Amino acid sequence: MKQIQFTLNDKNYDLLVEPHENLAKVLRDKCGLTGTKIGCEQGACGACTVQVNDTPVLSCITPVIRCNGANILTIEGVATNGALHPLQEKFVEKGAIQCGFCTPGMVMTVLAFLRENPNPTIDEIKEGISGNLCRCTGYKKIIEAIAEAAPLMQSKAKKTGEEDAIKKETPASEVQSFADGFQIVGKPTPYIDARKKVTGQAQYADDYQFKDALHCKFLRSVYPHARIMSIDTSEAEKLPGVRYVLIGDELPEKFGILPISQDQTALAIDKVKYIGEIVAAVAADSETIAADAVNLIKVKYEELKPYLSIQESLEPVSENDEAIHPHCREGKNIHKRASLRFGDQKAGLEEADHRCRIHFEFEGLNHAFTEPHACTAFSDTNGNLTLITATQIPHYVHRTLSKVLDIPMDKIRVIKPFLGGGFGGKGDPFAHEIIAAHLAKKLGKPVKVRLSREEVFLTNHGRHPTEMDMELGANDDGKFTVLDSDIKIDGGAYGSFGVVTTYYNGVLLQAPYKIDNIGFDACRVYTNKPPNGAMRGHGAVNPRFAMEVLIDELAHQMGMDPCEIRFRNFLPSNTLTLGQFRITSNGVREALQTVKDQSNWKEQYGKLPFGQGLGVACGFYISGSALPIIWNEYPQTVVHIKVDFDGRVVVYSGASDIGQGSDTMMAIIVAEVLGLDLDKIHIHSADTLMTPVDLGSYSSRVTFMVGNAAKMAAENLKQEIIKSVAKSRRLKPNSLEMKSQQIISKDGKLDLSWKEAVDIATAHRGALATSGYYVSPKLGGKFKGAGAGLSPSYSFGAVVAEVKVNSDTGQVAVQNLWGAHDCGKALNPLAVEGQLEGSWHMGMGQALSEAMKYHKGLVVNPNILDYKIPTALDIPDFHTNIIESCDPEGPFGAKECGEGALHPAVPAIANAVFDAVGVRITSLPISPETILKGIRTKEKIEVVQ
Amino acid sequence: MNSLKMLDTKQPAYLSPDTVEEAVKLASLFKDSFSYVAGGTDLWVNRYQGNNQSNCLIDISQIQELQTISVADQKLKIGALVKLDQLRNYPEIRNNFPTLIEAAHSVGSPLIRKMGTLGGNILCENRCTFYNQSDLWREAINYCLKSGGDICIATGGTKVCYSEFVSDTAPALISLDAQVEIFDKNNTEIFKLEEIYTGDGIHPRKLSKTAIIKFILLPLKQKYRAVFKKLRPRKSMDFTSLTTAVSFYKDGGLKIALGGVSPKPVVIESNIGENQDALIKEALKLCKTVDNDVYSRLYRREMIRQFLSKSFEELSI
Repeated sequence: MKQIQFTLNDKNYDLLVEPHENLAKVLRDKCGLTGTKIGCEQGACGACTVQVNDTPVLSCITPVIRCNGANILTIEGVATNGALHPLQEKFVEKGAIQCGFCTPGMVMTVLAFLRENPNPTIDEIKEGISGNLCRCTGYKKIIEAIAEAAPLMQSKAKKTGEEDAIKKETPASEVQSFADGFQIVGKPTPYIDARKKVTGQAQYADDYQFKDALHCKFLRSVYPHARIMSIDTSEAEKLPGVRYVLIGDELPEKFGILPISQDQTALAIDKVKYIGEIVAAVAADSETIAADAVNLIKVKYEELKPYLSIQESLEPVSENDEAIHPHCREGKNIHKRASLRFGDQKAGLEEADHRCRIHFEFEGLNHAFTEPHACTAFSDTNGNLTLITATQIPHYVHRTLSKVLDIPMDKIRVIKPFLGGGFGGKGDPFAHEIIAAHLAKKLGKPVKVRLSREEVFLTNHGRHPTEMDMELGANDDGKFTVLDSDIKIDGGAYGSFGVVTTYYNGVLLQAPYKIDNIGFDACRVYTNKPPNGAMRGHGAVNPRFAMEVLIDELAHQMGMDPCEIRFRNFLPSNTLTLGQFRITSNGVREALQTVKDQSNWKEQYGKLPFGQGLGVACGFYISGSALPIIWNEYPQTVVHIKVDFDGRVVVYSGASDIGQGSDTMMAIIVAEVLGLDLDKIHIHSADTLMTPVDLGSYSSRVTFMVGNAAKMAAENLKQEIIKSVAKSRRLKPNSLEMKSQQIISKDGKLDLSWKEAVDIATAHRGALATSGYYVSPKLGGKFKGAGAGLSPSYSFGAVVAEVKVNSDTGQVAVQNLWGAHDCGKALNPLAVEGQLEGSWHMGMGQALSEAMKYHKGLVVNPNILDYKIPTALDIPDFHTNIIESCDPEGPFGAKECGEGALHPAVPAIANAVFDAVGVRITSLPISPETILKGIRTKEKIEVVQ
Repeated sequence: MNSLKMLDTKQPAYLSPDTVEEAVKLASLFKDSFSYVAGGTDLWVNRYQGNNQSNCLIDISQIQELQTISVADQKLKIGALVKLDQLRNYPEIRNNFPTLIEAAHSVGSPLIRKMGTLGGNILCENRCTFYNQSDLWREAINYCLKSGGDICIATGGTKVCYSEFVSDTAPALISLDAQVEIFDKNNTEIFKLEEIYTGDGIHPRKLSKTAIIKFILLPLKQKYRAVFKKLRPRKSMDFTSLTTAVSFYKDGGLKIALGGVSPKPVVIESNIGENQDALIKEALKLCKTVDNDVYSRLYRREMIRQFLSKSFEELSI
């Protein structure tokens, strides 16, 4: 141990540190300042950026001893006496903060950057932040915030002596009425928690510090498929500071997100099924001791034949070998087959005037959120087992803990803290959560777990690697007449959401085009690799790519414009698809027209110089699944509201804000209904002790379902208050209105403040409490599989992408992306734009640079440097358009905007490559080699060997 | 330093000497289990992954002498501790060696460039898909040659390690005829930069463990034009999959250096007269490229041809 001293945020610290500790750990664990985040521990993401002696450093790779005597500034030291720095203000105002996990590092980088370059161009800003990864925003609003903050910081620097008191952003105080009469709905509104995130005060799962907590580390399998012959934990147990060593048979109960697919145990029992699977867990006094103890555990394995590809898993399992799961089907490693057929595809294709069939291949993907999984489990004073965990689904985690640990549900509490991005990757109950909870209960102490970035990749649950054959037929008019697809997805070692994914790969092709003859066969196999699950766009992204590329190819063959052919085929509003999806609001025409016009499609498509091109694609997606995962009589979501003497409106909801802004969404809806400013609304969410159930943040259900429930609860509250006031003032209830923080009568004679109204309403009975809920209407057909993809409402979108292909290297750069997304009604345009831009950024990643690579079952790139998400220098100019088709059933007309925008981005880029260089992309990510080969084949140039 | 005698060389240590002489003295005490730390951006990540397990870290970042730039004997003398980001602040470098600035600018991200040093970059450890992984990973793959195992995972061979040389500044410097001044146990020597590399993926540098690079020397008053290119998937962060630096001198001399495609920088010296195709063929012959990178071997070899012919074109050769 060595003694060091430094000044941190103007405060002196004397510390004892280990010789090789890094600064990030010391700041967080020893100084207790958790605003500085750890995203990768390799200096590849920028989340840990702080300033040492005015220089920005990646604190996760900075030796702390080097900082002896230094002056350190972290995010917690940026605001002065509660007043935000102008840069922080702009981040909040411009929507540059979604999940907020990258924000502290981003702010620290930018503060230094603007000192060096006070007048940067947009390109210089992009470069300045190119070492800070963001997965939520697509960087656009971050760049805008910086561009607007720069001149402010200059003028602030010019003023001498005075401290500018930065005006607190109170959007509600600038309420204007809009044409549609809304006070807050439709107005760009910064997240209600943005200030907490930008100051580093927001606590994420790994930021919680508990007295006397134990730390848990895992021993993971080094074989893809092997029988566990023996586990010797004796040496590990002897290590001082080790409190318990856990192995599989202590937790034999199986779990999984889908009731029909519960095939996983918390630790491997009997055999391991992928490299990285947890085999043992150690709880110890410190992370270091736990990690050392893990290295002392000796496991003897007997290798089994691994199944590492779709091909291998579709072969019969020989007698001498063993299928991955006993419940595998057909004597192969098949998990699930799904099929739906409407009409006769074979005949339809034979009769079609034009047909096109392409084989597609897709690499698997990872969500690559900036915050690694983490959790802490402990028993509270009432004996409740409490788990604070980075999850999108506290309700399902709650159920899972009860099942696996055999603890009654009313003795379990799951809390989702601030969350650094999910995108589906925190949407399963996890082994590490169950293990932490089990150990906490057993040992009577808090147990902390945090996954390293590599472990995040090994946990995976990302997009399934896919092989797909799809065929589209059309008649001479360009009308699509028939669609057939054969899809195989690689599920990895466990089920996760896979059954749903299997269906979504086929059923979500029923729109946005009218096709009367559709069929698909889909098959999910198990392989001995980390499990795949749900990732933004869930199951529909790959087939959407295939379909949009096929349309492009057909249009090309027929000499028809790709936009025109799509216009000829769109489904209208208020219709049923072939599989009886009920389409209500449908803005796809407007979306396509918008991006077509903005991109100057008519003048440019097919007319740009070689190497430059435009591509178009459309898409659609569900606003939540009409049928829940667990079938029971319970509503899909419930919201409670309480108002007490102080006039504060407290909204209780199980909804999980994962950075997409659902807390803000609820506040907006409730404030709008009650005619209040946003700052009167307090949201308490995602705490299974305190908040009524919401099923979770997945399948884009939250705005539609939770929004509706919140609206219902608010309207019930409004009625309660109006009734009380009406009675007290002897007026008719329907003569009263609530707006601008008042309750008034339409004839103007009554004029009460909100507080006065609350006093009247709470007289004699105290705090008011109301409830709202949502249940999907009964929808869909009666055939098997009719439920998959059913939704009370669907979003629609279109993208035109412009690319530049370097014909020497084959590399592709996206120059512009025009996107339009029909979200029904943008309750908060700032948030909607952010979700769209983030979706397009993620789609671009899938198109150009992201892939989970494997070597004999090992993930080859389990880190955030080798798994390549686009940096700020890689993004195009995003041109964002919100289309509002005013959904009849959405809250104020709103429907989803969190996933659907991603779908068209990927094929639009691929189609643009075709326009640019005539190379048809049929596998993702786009490889420069493929492009070069394609160009050369046309030019007949020899390729060097 | 009285405390030298009290050092327990078996315990983990972090030492911060003030001079080069002191640093080398400390290094000699710890024999094999030490590493020098300058910026730390390469070392720290290798430690995190368990590839570097040195007991003692000798932090040389405070040594003043190595942080300056001066001119002596018609050479620009750049201190090895000058940060990659700082190079562009010196007009002597900007005006005389623009490809060095370009190369330094292509390294990592702005944050890495503020921490990383020029000396550290030319000493950047060789990389390979199968080596730059965690302990768990290397155990699962049964350890490659560079991590002490019996087989090169990339090629299946048992004798030669093909980890890639990935420094971007080194090819630029080599093509500019750079030298390095090295201090080791009371001895100072000067080498051409390319001479310090072995071509052995496991031990990529000829320097003794205790040696410290003090200065990078660049000849001034040279009339030349140069082109620098780097191949990588993204426009920031990524290590190189191919770096080329081509310098064309007024006297007709041509110096080409390639990185990212062999265990050491591949250097070709020639003159204007030589046939370009022959030069490219020579480069391809000398590059020992295998499939241990995000891009395939074939593609990178194709890009060697592309980059070099494009460079010749841009230099109007």
